[in-house]
Parts: sequence; C-alpha cells; structure tokens
Amino acid sequence: MAQSTAVSPCSSINLAFHAPKRGSLLYHDKLSFPRKLHSFQEFGSRASELNGRAVVSSTCNVIRACEPKAIQALLSSEREVESAPKSGGGRRGRLNKVVLAYSGGLDTSVIVPWLRENYGCEVVCFTADVGQGIKELDGLEEKAKASGACQLVVKDLKEEFVKDYIFPCLRAGAIYERKYLLGTSMARPVIAKVRFELTFFALNPELNVVAPWREWDIQGREDAIEYAKKHNVPVPVTKKSIYSRDRNLWHLSHEGDILEDPENEPKKDMYMMSVDPEDAPNQPEYIEIGIVSGIPVSVNGKKLSPASLLAELNEIGGRHGIGRIDMVENRLVGMKSRGVYETPGGTILFSAVQELESLTLDRETMQVKDSLALKYAELVYAGRWFDPLRESIDAFMENITKTTTGSVTLKLYKGSVSVTGRTSPKSLYRQDISSFESGQIYDQADAAGFIRLYGLPMRVRAMLERGI
Amino acid sequence: MAQSTAVSPCSSINLAFHAPKRGSLLYHDKLSFPRKLHSFQEFGSRASELNGRAVVSSTCNVIRACEPKAIQALLSSEREVESAPKSGGGRRGRLNKVVLAYSGGLDTSVIVPWLRENYGCEVVCFTADVGQGIKELDGLEEKAKASGACQLVVKDLKEEFVKDYIFPCLRAGAIYERKYLLGTSMARPVIAKAMVDVAREVGADAVAHGCTGKGNDQVRFELTFFALNPELNVVAPWREWDIQGREDAIEYAKKHNVPVPVTKKSIYSRDRNLWHLSHEGDILEDPENEPKKDMYMMSVDPEDAPNQPEYIEIGIVSGIPVSVNGKKLSPASLLAELNEIGGRHGIGRIDMVENRLVGMKSRGVYETPGGTILFSAVQELESLTLDRETMQVKDSLALKYAELVYAGRWFDPLRESIDAFMENITKTTTGSVTLKLYKGSVSVTGRTSPKSLYRQDISSFESGQIYDQADAAGFIRLYGLPMRVRAMLERGI
Repeated sequence: MAQSTAVSPCSSINLAFHAPKRGSLLYHDKLSFPRKLHSFQEFGSRASELNGRAVVSSTCNVIRACEPKAIQALLSSEREVESAPKSGGGRRGRLNKVVLAYSGGLDTSVIVPWLRENYGCEVVCFTADVGQGIKELDGLEEKAKASGACQLVVKDLKEEFVKDYIFPCLRAGAIYERKYLLGTSMARPVIAKVRFELTFFALNPELNVVAPWREWDIQGREDAIEYAKKHNVPVPVTKKSIYSRDRNLWHLSHEGDILEDPENEPKKDMYMMSVDPEDAPNQPEYIEIGIVSGIPVSVNGKKLSPASLLAELNEIGGRHGIGRIDMVENRLVGMKSRGVYETPGGTILFSAVQELESLTLDRETMQVKDSLALKYAELVYAGRWFDPLRESIDAFMENITKTTTGSVTLKLYKGSVSVTGRTSPKSLYRQDISSFESGQIYDQADAAGFIRLYGLPMRVRAMLERGI
Repeated sequence: MAQSTAVSPCSSINLAFHAPKRGSLLYHDKLSFPRKLHSFQEFGSRASELNGRAVVSSTCNVIRACEPKAIQALLSSEREVESAPKSGGGRRGRLNKVVLAYSGGLDTSVIVPWLRENYGCEVVCFTADVGQGIKELDGLEEKAKASGACQLVVKDLKEEFVKDYIFPCLRAGAIYERKYLLGTSMARPVIAKAMVDVAREVGADAVAHGCTGKGNDQVRFELTFFALNPELNVVAPWREWDIQGREDAIEYAKKHNVPVPVTKKSIYSRDRNLWHLSHEGDILEDPENEPKKDMYMMSVDPEDAPNQPEYIEIGIVSGIPVSVNGKKLSPASLLAELNEIGGRHGIGRIDMVENRLVGMKSRGVYETPGGTILFSAVQELESLTLDRETMQVKDSLALKYAELVYAGRWFDPLRESIDAFMENITKTTTGSVTLKLYKGSVSVTGRTSPKSLYRQDISSFESGQIYDQADAAGFIRLYGLPMRVRAMLERGI
C-alpha cells in the first residue's frame, strides 16, 4: 500500500518504499535539482535497492541559517523504516551512495559517519577548490577516509568560477543592495552544478538530497566533537573562529559574534584578506586594467587567466586595504543579517569595468543596463543562477558590452580606489565636440530647437494650468 | 503680405510684422514659452509694441560650454527692425524689462549692456546665494549699475536650496550614472524659480541666462521657466551674440564703458554651490589625464589628510539628516558643517565621463565632501528600516529620479510623484549612523534605529522561536517550484 507520510517538521516530504496507491501520493519533490520522476510503482519496486542518488551538501564549516540548504529526507519516520524491507538501510532510510561536499572541517567530518549510520550508504567526499585556500590536499584524502568515506574527489573550479560566474556578474555590474558584490552567491551555483554533473554521470538523474544539519540532533560544536569521538572519527584540530566565515577567490565574509549588533564596529583583527587602511602604504599605487568586451584581461599590461588575474588583484588590493564592506542586508529567507565582506580584487575590477563603460555606453544604454543590473543581482543573490531570466539578461549584457574595450588606470591608496584615466578605441567621447572651443559637429544654435521640443510637454502642461 | 523669414542660423525662427496670408505662415513657435497665438493680423498690429517678456540669466563667472543657454530672439532680421515702428527697441527686438541672473563676473557684466543694446530694455540683475561663496555684496550692486543695470536684487537661497532640493534628492538616493551627485542640476531650478518670482515682483517681461549652448544648464533653466511662467520671454545671449571668448568680452566691455572685473581667469570652468564644486576644461578634456593636485579647492588631497581617522555621527529623521554629532543644525548649516569636516579628510572627489542631456559626453571632476558623507549615512540607515522589496523598488525609482533631475525636469509631475513615494517610504528611516572618515574614504562603523527591522534574535546563530529553520524546507520547495517544473519539461518528465 502506497503511503507517503509527512513526519516531523524537521524533515520534508518523504517517500514510502511501498508501491503507492495512485493519487494518494504526495508529490515527491526534489528540492535542489530536477530529476526524472518515474512513476511511483517504479520507484517503489526499486526502493529496496534505491540507487540512492543523493547528494549531501554541507559546504560550510559552521551551521548557517543564511544558506538555503535543500533537504530531502527519504524516510524519516521509524515506522516506515521498520516495515520497509531493509537491506543494509540506516535509521532514516536507505541510500546507496552519497556524494558529500566536503571541507575537512568538523562539520563535514561528522556528516560522513552520520550518513552511513542513518542511510546505510557509501560516502564519496567531494572537495571543490573555489579559492577558499585549501591546504594539505593529501592530508584531506586521509582525513576523509578516516571519517569513513570510501573516496575523495577534488576538482579545481577556480578558473570556471571566475570565467563563467564572476566575470558575467562583473560585466553586468551586479551589486546587491548597493554594496554586496555577491561572492558567496556566485560560488554556490558553481559547486552545485558540478555536484549535479558528477552525480548525473555516475548514476541516474534521480537525486535525493540530504542536508543533515536540518535533520540531526547535533546542536553545536561540543555535540559534534562528541559524535566524532563516538564514531572514531579524528577531530580536526583547527581552531574554531568566533566568526562564521566564507571564503573563495572573490571574497571573504564574516558574520556572527559582535557583528550581530549593527551598532558595533568590527574589530581590527577580524579581517584576513586585506590590511587595515591605516596600515596600508603611504604611497599610492597606480595600476592599469585592460578590458575586452566588458571582461578584464590584463593587469599592468600583463595578460592573465581569469583566476590568476583575480588572484593578482586580490594581492595588490589587499595590500592597500581595498574593498572592505560593512552592511546589513535583507536575506532571501526573510530576515536581515549583518555581515562584513572583504573583496579587494573585485572592488578594483568593478571600478575599472564601470569606468570604461562611461566612454563606450550612451545615456539610454546606461540607464537600461543599470536597471537590469539591479534585477540581475537579485536573481544571483537568490540562487537563481540557472534561471532563464538570468541567462537572458546575460545575453543582453554580452551584447551591449561588445565595445567596452580599452583600459582604465586606477589609484589605490589607504582603502580607496580612484580612477585617474581611461581610454578606449571605441570611445564615444570626442574632445572636438565637448570642448569649450566651438566645433563643426556641435552647433550651439541646435540647442535652441532641442530645448524647444524637449520642453514642449512641460509648456503645454503649464499652458493648461494657466488656461492659455 | 505676410512673410516669415528665417535668417542666419544663429537665430531662431522669426516672425514678420505684416499680417500674414493665411496658411502660408510658418508656425511661430516660441522657444521658451507658449502664449496665446492670436491671428497674425492681431500680431502684426501689436508688432510695433511687442511687450517682450524676457529674462536673461547668467549665473556663471566664467564662460562655460557646459551651461546651456536658451536663446530666444524675437526678431532677428534687420529688415524687420527697420520696418517696425520702433519705440525704444534694440537691434534684435523690444523687451521691456529683463531679469538677468548675475554673478559680477566678466560674462554677466557684458550681458547687461548687450541686452540693452539689442532689446532696448531695462535690466534687473539678480544674484542668488546658493553657497557659491559670494564676496563683497555691496560692491556687487555698484558693479551691476556700472554695467548699466537699473537694479540689483539679491536673495539668500541657501536654506531653500538644501531643504527643498538637495534633501529630497538625498532621500531618494538619486545618483546620476553611478557617481554624480547632481550638484549643479539641483541648483538651477532653485535659481530659475527665484528669477521667475523676481520677474513678477519687478514687473519684468523677460528672463535671460548666460549659459552656453553646449551644456545642460540651458535646459535646466528653461524647463523651469516653461513650467512656472510660460509667458516669459527667454534670452540666452551666448547663442546669439558674436562674442567668442574672453578677449572679445573685454573689448565689448570697454566699448560700452563697463568696468572689467579684475578676477583672474581660471583655466578650468567651475561651478560652485553649497553642495559641490565642479571642474571642467583644460587638461580634463582628455579623459586619459589625471587631474592636477592643485585644481581641487573644496577638499584636501587624501594624502595630506589627517593620519588619524575621525568618527562622526549623523542623526536622521524620516530620511532627512538633522544633526551632526548630536548637534541639531539647519539644513544649510548642517551641510556646511559636513563640507568642512569632509573637506578636511579629502572626502568626496569624483572623476567621471558623463552623458550630457544635449548629446555629447563630457569629462568632469566633482568635489562633494558633505554630500558624500550624507549619502553614505542615509543609505546605510535604510538598510535597517527598508525590507527587500522596498529597497528594490526604491533603488529602481532612484535611477529615474536622478535622470529627471539631471535633465532639468525638477518641476515635472513625475519627479514630484516619485518624491511623494520617497517621502512616504522613508517615514520610518529614523535613527543614527556612525561613520569613519579617513584619507578620502567614508566607511560605516555602526547604525541604529528605533524602527529597525533587524532583530538579533532572528538572525543570530542561536536558534530562536521566531525563525524555525525547518520552514526553510517548505520555502525552498515552493520558491524553487518553477525551476523544477522547467527542468522536468526539459527532461520530458
């Protein structure tokens, strides 16, 4: 008899192992990504040997309410588990093999045994390098296996991250709520996509998603350490930071602790990616950014790959204390949160690309582009990277920035970036028109007719008001 | 026999004095303002005593291409002038009394005799104090009269400028093309409005401005004239006369016994008021050139700014700043105070290439020390008081608002309506923001509001009652439903 039961509020919709009655089944939705929805009978017959295509995501070291984590518990009530023909299943259900986004920290080290205990599955650890500063990659494999994983897969995603996610956002001029340069928002899709691809190729396109932090009973660090010890998992000796941080090639974010009161100024020693502007060099530094069709390609004349270019600018920018942002933002999930972001290279790049556009884009264009940029940032912030709307706006952006080629010189000094010069072979600026000398192209008398017609609606309105 | 003849390209459409043949007449459009279009017969009979209503405006000290000057030649051909029964008219026509926006500089000093010569009118000089730094006001009246003006009217518009023009733009978050804080754009309407008032007070029939035909200011002045009194004639000598530059102007002044001001000419074209100081021209005309250190006047070089940061607290009520470091100040005083503090730390320097309304790009450098601090403060406080949807709509409207103000459409119902939205939506934006000023940059260090929508008990890492993390499951499921349905479609599910 088909059953689908909802269980505790901590988990989402479940799927029973028996062949369901048609029609009585709750829609089995897969939270993070689409997959083929076979009929439930098909599903039910395979339930006992669910080629569990599950991907467990826990990309942060610390539990964070701000990350929308899709959770999909296949079974969570004990009743189903008891009645289900168990073949090596766990407390919560049966999955075959799970890919876990793994960092080597306490959280993810604990998830490995937890998954095995609760779903009776194999665990493949996956580590994505998006520039967060992965150290000791060899040690990582040992650590994963010591936790109980059968395998560790590592992929260097830095170039893809910068080229396919960061640079489009930069080209679009996407800034969320005036300040946030979207660092974490851009990183999530790139990891999810790879995760999807990995699973898709390895198994069948039917993925279950488990997010343990919404399921388990582990409340904090102490619980996690205790759980690890109970399962003979080596506890990582990394010192816990009082702040919650997320780091990648684009930015470093800080939340928590004293930052939770928006009245508090961040402490000087919190920052990690940039020096304090007061300690930055007393001499300004000039840099030149080369741009082709809205995409940065060189620093000081040196052509660099996307990730290398960003890394280079992070180093230079960090040295001058560039790119520190302190803000209270509106999260997608409804509350406001206060965060501090360090985006040294990104801040330099935004300044350069936007400045070059002032040469190559006309007035109407800039208006529309900036309006769309607002929407673009909202989409990316909300995790809607693979949304056709975002893709369509990108098509616009790619097209409209075709001529945004040239270079911009910036001055970096004590935390600020200022433009000192810009040049482009596609510049729409002409000195012979705008100069104070009268030219042939611009006839001052034209202004008379222009104003007459441009102001005609206003005159008509005023005539109406006066009964003329 | 009715005739309308177009003359030299330097002037606009002309009107004949004779009664026209019906139908053969070119439409006489009035550049600056509509007026009752009587039949041409009527017009012809009045031609000899055209009650020209014109206002001449020249608010700049230095000849500047960026100042738009609307020009309205009522009559410009000599033939018409000869045949018209003249009663005290000038070379180009007849106006009774013109209000000229006057600065005391070379330009406006020359415009006075030029108006009298060309329009046979009386000239009332009008000087608006919008914080540009007017010195020697007494000397100004003598100067104006020595140029030939019958009167000088001076009005202190600083408080009105800040309260009724600057603060609404600040509240709206209006920034043009990412950087420009609209300093000159906001000043023109307040000056032009005052000119319209003065014209009424002195019984003038015309206004005139001294803006060139290459800039935005001509548009900003004239749109204001259109909106407030469409019956005023507008004269913009810059688009009419033969004076090409400083030497011509000096020569003209001498010929008409007008004392030449001894102010040293700056190589830059500048506009200054309580909000900002702008620089254009000279080496700035090449966007590749870095501005020279000695060009700046309203702020110190960040490298010369104090080595110690300075913290200031801005108090805000309903989106409008009201106090600095706890001290309540009037709008103009508050801005002046922040200009001083900000200038000391090299705050607010902007270098940009912008799209002018009149079609070309121009490069300008702006110093907006106090304004930059205020923008930072007001926008920061909104992060506590505005929710997500609100901020999106507000920021979208801010783009449009800035476009309207930049284009001189201050007295446009659209701008007024957006202001009504802004006033309403910022009602709860009350509180204070602490900023750190250091070597040219402003950073936020803290913000607080009794109307804050931020709750530590919700966003904190501790689990709270109000926010149940399990809710996220349902939220994501439904929020992502369209994406899932789309993917299912793509997979033939």
